[in-house]
Amino acid sequence: MSESSKSKSSLNLNPSPTLQCKDLHEYLKSRSAQFLETLYNYPTICLAVYRELPELARHFVIRLLFVEQPVPQAVVTSWVSQTYAKEQAKSCEALSELSVWQEAPIPGGMPGWMLAQSFKKNLKVALLGGGRPWSMSSSLEPDGKARDVAFLDAYALERWECVLHYMVGSAQTEGISADAVRILLHAGLMTRDAEDGSAVITRAGFQFLLLSTAKQVWLFLQHYLHTAEKRSLSAAECLAFLYQLSFSTLGKDYSTEGMSNNMLVFLQHLREFGLVYQRKRKAGRFYPTRLALNITCVKESGPSVAPLETSPHHQGYIVVETNYRVYAYTQSNLQVALLGLFTELVYRFPNLVVGVLTRESVRQALRGGITAEQIIHYLEQHSHSQMLKSETGGIKSTSMLPPTVVDQIRLWESERNRFTYTEGVVYNQFLSQADFVVLRDYARQQGVLTWQNERSRTMVVRRAGHDDVRKFWKRYSKSS
Amino acid sequence: MADEETPSDSSLLVIIVDTNPNQRYITEDPKILTNCLDAIISFANSHLMQKSRNQLAVIGCHFHKSEYLYPSPGKPLDVRQIDGQYELFTLVEKTIKMRLVNLIKSQPQDEKPGESLLAGALALALCYIARLRRQSTPGLRISSRILIVTGSTDTAAQYINYMNVFFTAQKQQILIDVCSLDKHLSLLQQGCDITGGLYLKVPSLEGLLQYLLWVFLPEASERTKLVLPGRGRVDYRAACFCHRELLTIGYVCSVCLSVFCKFSPICTTCHTVFKIGGPLPIKPKKKKLKT
Repeated sequence: MSESSKSKSSLNLNPSPTLQCKDLHEYLKSRSAQFLETLYNYPTICLAVYRELPELARHFVIRLLFVEQPVPQAVVTSWVSQTYAKEQAKSCEALSELSVWQEAPIPGGMPGWMLAQSFKKNLKVALLGGGRPWSMSSSLEPDGKARDVAFLDAYALERWECVLHYMVGSAQTEGISADAVRILLHAGLMTRDAEDGSAVITRAGFQFLLLSTAKQVWLFLQHYLHTAEKRSLSAAECLAFLYQLSFSTLGKDYSTEGMSNNMLVFLQHLREFGLVYQRKRKAGRFYPTRLALNITCVKESGPSVAPLETSPHHQGYIVVETNYRVYAYTQSNLQVALLGLFTELVYRFPNLVVGVLTRESVRQALRGGITAEQIIHYLEQHSHSQMLKSETGGIKSTSMLPPTVVDQIRLWESERNRFTYTEGVVYNQFLSQADFVVLRDYARQQGVLTWQNERSRTMVVRRAGHDDVRKFWKRYSKSS
Repeated sequence: MADEETPSDSSLLVIIVDTNPNQRYITEDPKILTNCLDAIISFANSHLMQKSRNQLAVIGCHFHKSEYLYPSPGKPLDVRQIDGQYELFTLVEKTIKMRLVNLIKSQPQDEKPGESLLAGALALALCYIARLRRQSTPGLRISSRILIVTGSTDTAAQYINYMNVFFTAQKQQILIDVCSLDKHLSLLQQGCDITGGLYLKVPSLEGLLQYLLWVFLPEASERTKLVLPGRGRVDYRAACFCHRELLTIGYVCSVCLSVFCKFSPICTTCHTVFKIGGPLPIKPKKKKLKT
């Protein structure tokens, strides 16, 4: 008998992979422990990592923060009530994954937990003070031409839209550097055309456009960091600087003094994408914008609360009716193109586009790898302010879109998911029918049998039960 | 608490700090107030550290008035980073310390310190929460709670005000937590019980920060998952309206439900006139009509 293990990763199962947007936690998890160790030397990173942790994990960290010796694992377990043991295990795992804490033996031989030294030290610095300041801004003189928040918002939005416009190939292709294009190509959001070598948008690129602005920025920067390493920029330093920006105050200026050359280059890139504002390249000061501040909010996407979108410069323009009609008050080609991804456009007026959400149009979008969640989120995010006021007919729902439309889009998606995938191991080439029957019955008894065929003497066992069945088989074949 | 299970997007914490100079732990060693204040500020910053949308207010409660210590009315202080601390945390610390000094300086010198105006400070906190709720963007779920840190002794002088505040908080789904630094406070404990908050009498002032972080930092949705000190028995004795003493048995006005320790012919709250007590007059028996 032979076993052939066929483990399929979830990526291969999807016919067209959806764009993966990792949050900070997942990003850090994929990096080496050594990289994490260097990161934890920055108080900003510690603060950001702390905020990304699950609720219970945060509680553990804060209680261990002022304890200088290892704490027995049993004690940590006793802090959480028994009914939530599963959640507790998950939190402990998250802390270990990010090497926020390590196992440490305590006298008496019991296993204990202890926070990583550098993490503990720098989180304390961020919370209580001490250490070196993050930047040399305290010696900065007041700016004669200080900019207000409204100006910064407008600036950030204009810069960022410039990147997006470039992606859809609109006329405004000026003001985007070769570096930015390289990142877009690297991320697979755009690809070189086979004929003339010009950059064209990919499927993943369209999905990227449907994300919320905060997510777009974060995803873009992730790819930037990947390419940064090749350009001898230290990813740790860049990440620390990014989080330093995200913890700054909007409308305040910060000094560039004491920044290394590499970081000044990085700053110029951020300036290009609209994350910071600088009047002149050598101004010696910069203003972080809302785009930079929102990096930390990737995960907490509450309904209709995207800080940049609530600013007066960027108002919602989409109205969705219960009859699946979509009205978009816009003149921008970018927005029309995006809407065209999942609606059937019916009319176009100078300032208004009318479309219908149909089964066909939505299914086409789904086939392209766009998820129902993305469509709904996009419609929600750009809802017209009038939609916020409208009543949903007494039905309490979390979204301001008509519930019928939301449900139908979800149904159209689930229509396509008729398969459920389970990982499994194939057992075949049994020498005798008796062997096969014994093993099959055993597997069935254990409840791990997925499929079997007596004639070809083939059976599939679930991944989880594989070890057990194999052990049984060894015992069985030895005894007979 | 309507949906205790789902964690909120943003959590608002109002801390009421009792700064009355006649608290026993301050009269014994005035320096200890600084330690306690540092612990409270660190705790406040830890709350802001939990989520980027979390909000904070601190109210100082003195014997002559209560005042916001953070956020300061008007333009915030212009604070620059001086060490590795997060800028916002530095702002919180500086503002609280500066405004507390102002508050203490403003106290009338010739007056003897009286009782802390905790009920007033609580009302101030409720107003602040109501205002922020009104101003918040639609769709944002805010959970609010109030934490009182006090070393004052229990008095029933503000009994009615307390009860009004407690029931308002209950109706608004605002938790009231109490951290007592000195004596057991039965009246405030009732408030915790009514609103679903936690009550803790700190055994030692040295570990104040650890107690605060352990018991009072988790928000309501998280508390159900943790093992926290139990509620214990709550003393639900009411205070009489005439002498502010706690009673087990007393007289209750049948119209407005005011409690009195002694019988009075006119209710002082609603001015209802009662018949004089004493033995009930015996009705004269009707004479049988003789036929």
